[in-house]
Amino acid sequence: MALYNNHSGKSAAKYTRNAVIIIVLVLFAMATLFPIYFMIISSFGDPVEAASMSYSLFPGKITFESYKFFFEYSKYSLRWLGNSTLVATAVMVSNVFFASLAGYAFSKLRFRGRNALFTLLLVAMMIPYQVTQVPLYILIVNIFEIQNTYSALILPGLVTVYNIFLAKQFMGSIPTEILECAKIEGCNQFQIYFRIVLPLSKTVLAVMAILTFMDSWNTFFWPFLVTNTMDMQTIQVGLKNFRFANTTYFAPMMAGATISALPMFILFFSLQKYFLKGVTVGAVKG
Amino acid sequence: MKRKMRVLASIFALTLALSSLAACGDSTKKEANPPTPSDTGSKTNVSADAKDTITALLPPVSSEYQNNFPQMEKDFNALYPNLTLKIEPASWEDMTQKLDTQVNAGSPPDIAFIGSDGISKYMQQDMLMDITDTATKEMVEDYDKVPLEYMKNGTGLYGFPAYMEIHALGGNREFLEKAGIDWKKVQKEGWTFDEFREAIKKGVVSEGGKTSRYGFVFATAGVTSKDYLGILIKNAGMPSPFTSDLKYAYTSKNFLEVLKDIRAMIDDGSMPKELSSIDAGKRWNMFLTGQTMITGKGLATFENSANKNNAKIEANDGSAVKGSIKVQYTVLPVPTFAGEKMQASAAVDGYVTFRGKKEPTAEHKANVVKAAYFLASGKVAASTNNDLFVAHITASGKKAAESMPVTRDEFNKAAVETMLAQAAPARPDIPTDLGAKAIKLEDEVIVPKLQALISGEMTPDAMYEAVKTAAIQTFGEDGVVK
Amino acid sequence: MTQLAKPIKRRRIKGDGAWGYAFIAVALVIFAMFTAYPVVSAFIISFQKYKPLGSTFVGFDNYIVTFKDALFWKSVVNTVVYTLLTVPVGLFISFAVAIMILPLRKKLQTTFKAVYYLPAVASGVALSVVWLWIYDPLPSGIFNQLLNFFGISNQNWLGSSATAMFSLVLMAWLSSHGTSIIIYLAALLGIDDSYYEAAELDGASFMKKLWYIVIPCLKPTTLFLLVTGVIGSFQVFQNAYLMTGGGPDNATTMVGLLIFNNAFKYFEFGKAAAQSLILAAIIAGIALAQFKFLGNDVEY
Repeated sequence: MALYNNHSGKSAAKYTRNAVIIIVLVLFAMATLFPIYFMIISSFGDPVEAASMSYSLFPGKITFESYKFFFEYSKYSLRWLGNSTLVATAVMVSNVFFASLAGYAFSKLRFRGRNALFTLLLVAMMIPYQVTQVPLYILIVNIFEIQNTYSALILPGLVTVYNIFLAKQFMGSIPTEILECAKIEGCNQFQIYFRIVLPLSKTVLAVMAILTFMDSWNTFFWPFLVTNTMDMQTIQVGLKNFRFANTTYFAPMMAGATISALPMFILFFSLQKYFLKGVTVGAVKG
Repeated sequence: MKRKMRVLASIFALTLALSSLAACGDSTKKEANPPTPSDTGSKTNVSADAKDTITALLPPVSSEYQNNFPQMEKDFNALYPNLTLKIEPASWEDMTQKLDTQVNAGSPPDIAFIGSDGISKYMQQDMLMDITDTATKEMVEDYDKVPLEYMKNGTGLYGFPAYMEIHALGGNREFLEKAGIDWKKVQKEGWTFDEFREAIKKGVVSEGGKTSRYGFVFATAGVTSKDYLGILIKNAGMPSPFTSDLKYAYTSKNFLEVLKDIRAMIDDGSMPKELSSIDAGKRWNMFLTGQTMITGKGLATFENSANKNNAKIEANDGSAVKGSIKVQYTVLPVPTFAGEKMQASAAVDGYVTFRGKKEPTAEHKANVVKAAYFLASGKVAASTNNDLFVAHITASGKKAAESMPVTRDEFNKAAVETMLAQAAPARPDIPTDLGAKAIKLEDEVIVPKLQALISGEMTPDAMYEAVKTAAIQTFGEDGVVK
Repeated sequence: MTQLAKPIKRRRIKGDGAWGYAFIAVALVIFAMFTAYPVVSAFIISFQKYKPLGSTFVGFDNYIVTFKDALFWKSVVNTVVYTLLTVPVGLFISFAVAIMILPLRKKLQTTFKAVYYLPAVASGVALSVVWLWIYDPLPSGIFNQLLNFFGISNQNWLGSSATAMFSLVLMAWLSSHGTSIIIYLAALLGIDDSYYEAAELDGASFMKKLWYIVIPCLKPTTLFLLVTGVIGSFQVFQNAYLMTGGGPDNATTMVGLLIFNNAFKYFEFGKAAAQSLILAAIIAGIALAQFKFLGNDVEY
């Protein structure tokens, strides 16, 4: 009943197939995971300088000193994590809501200038950030005068073109008939969006949520530009403080990187049920 | 339908939460946010002791440096009760980009800690503040002459230096002695390239065609190759890209000489043939594990790092660098080329003063100078420089440092002092547009070709020709040394 | 330019224009303020010699200089080569992995998804350090040890122009699939079972189903990943900057790096803006072609 044949009754064939698949996936996963593995084992090393770091596949000794070092290095370590969580959550929620609304409008609603507007959005996405960064900085700092605030960290990321584009591409495949039926039954567009489009788009919204969160969480440069006190920095900005002129505290940096990757794991696993096969168009249709 | 309502409700709840968070952001702004850097420049205070805020963008100069920010702010305020010093922390690699963005936006901080080579770059944008008239005589006299010159451009003074660091080489004392090199003599008198070449040949240990120890390894991966060339050509009679009559120097025959020598050391087998992708971490690892006799570039603080690793080997708790041996780090000068004299490559970093879009008032200017001097002298400078194992360059710093103990190898200390005395002089006379052109030529032609030269894909002559052609294109036939 | 978002040939709900504007209103306001305004500023700056204390108008100078700059075109070629080698292959790998994950049990599915997603969450600094070790030029480097095992002598991966670009491409192939895999899986899960059922009644094989159902259904997703992938790849410079510094002999210099250097290192902001707009035009051209080939949505 799916892409793969069920091999009903031929369980041997099914097992062989799955075994082959798993072997391929594991091999590729090993290549992909190697850097992560290295990051984690290094984080259990002593808080020494990077220049004296030794590359070895297995840690010489395991110690939590670097984690301790990380939290003791600055009294703001925890606050950095908090700031990042706050900013990334706000950006995520607002993107999921507004980008999906806009994506729905661009894919399913007919209005004048729709294609022109969408093209404009895409073209703007093609301009490298290196040149838009200075005007944006002037806007936030010199015109709005909101540097070093959460607003400055959150506002520019509220809705991204990437997410609108993503939502549009996915929502385009929702059959128009369903939406028209709902309309005939007297739903207005907002109701259609909430009652039909959103439930059908759960998977893509979960994907959008996690990608947006991750992106915002990993953003370094913008928060670095607009914050000027340690208490307003995000974790990515804070982590960079482990690099000094000629030395880098390597293991604590890796410990920090490991800690900063954790929230995304939590998010991933809490959203993962949406990544599995859920409500589909057919179910609604039927 | 119930489930859908729940989704809806939670979205609204989150939206509410979002707006309350945004509000909370706004309120912190009011307390935590003194005037923006741009309006500090436009203060219209008349009296000299009116309240003022000075902003400073500072990287982690030493490992202890950023931890001292609260204390520094407090001490400054105690010294000048009407003034507030507000320090913005930034990481080394990224602070240039932050500063550049702020400069481009017309609102830099009042003070930033940068390398003196950045001065000509910000001069171009007219965003530096000349403090020649504002710095008092006592302040200026506190500094050693040579490093202070580095903070000048044309006739203007654009801040105070924090330290002058010599870029030298570092050797493994035991290996040097085994190879029969009189390192004490070299520390005192220097060496020529031919002597150096022989010495590093003797340092090579190989068995069955495989080299287990090289004579010399320098970090040249990516952008660090610039340092390599820069250090060598200073000792080939080219302390600056421009001669004293402002002709581009890297077209001289000596430049070709250095390029040939760079190749020769690799072809001799004294340096690894993979040199072009050895980075700073790698070569330090090679040094500690006995895979090379001499390494570069060498900074004073490396002695400290080596000592720390020695202690760990002794403790034998698995925390020392894997495969490392005990090393007595020995400062060595860079060899001289083509009979030229020794001119150590010096890096002067310091507190540079900036202006905003509006012309700063005389009062604000005076306050900024007070803050810059506070940071670049006395106790602050003394403790930072001690952390870094670098020499003190202010009288007040030397005095403050008397009570702070440091353990350094006497020979190394003397060697660094010898080199400091021979440091390449500052060149405030180079006009900013010439300086900018030279930097561009370096990035777009010299560094890429040098990487090709080191990896054996280009001959020294071909590189020399490429540099010469590009230089003539940029500076004209008459703008270059023949 | 309107062709870029090629009108989707299908029926659409009529009479909801007002709703349409209402739905995009917030997005548009945010866009206008934080994206369009800076872009327009950059456009104006591209005709100026920019200085914070007052710029001067220089007409098309910045563009003319750029068009004459051999290094600019060399870096464009490098970027195109890099993009052609990384984006399509990367998409193919992501697609294949997503297809392979699909038949597994739920627990295994989740595990593999998490595993492939992991590298995307790790900090770039941490990753670049490991890659430098992998490409270590001495015989002790990881790849060189592998080669040694097969009797090949050690290579100077990042340091020689023959292998530098390839090394960067390989790095892209082996990492950074997390996002595409997740997006592909989401799209795969959205394909209705009824299509497969219908196909099975006709006795369609796995490959047939893949070709006639999966690939067409995933077209919008592929288009999305391709366009955003190309945009990302054209703007990228971090990897080249961190790993090779653009060398040797500019073999890995990317346009992004040049723009960055012009904007900050040399303070030629006007020129950087002009180069960005030229770059954007090139990307737009490529995107247009992609929309032409893949833009028509499939009606089921």
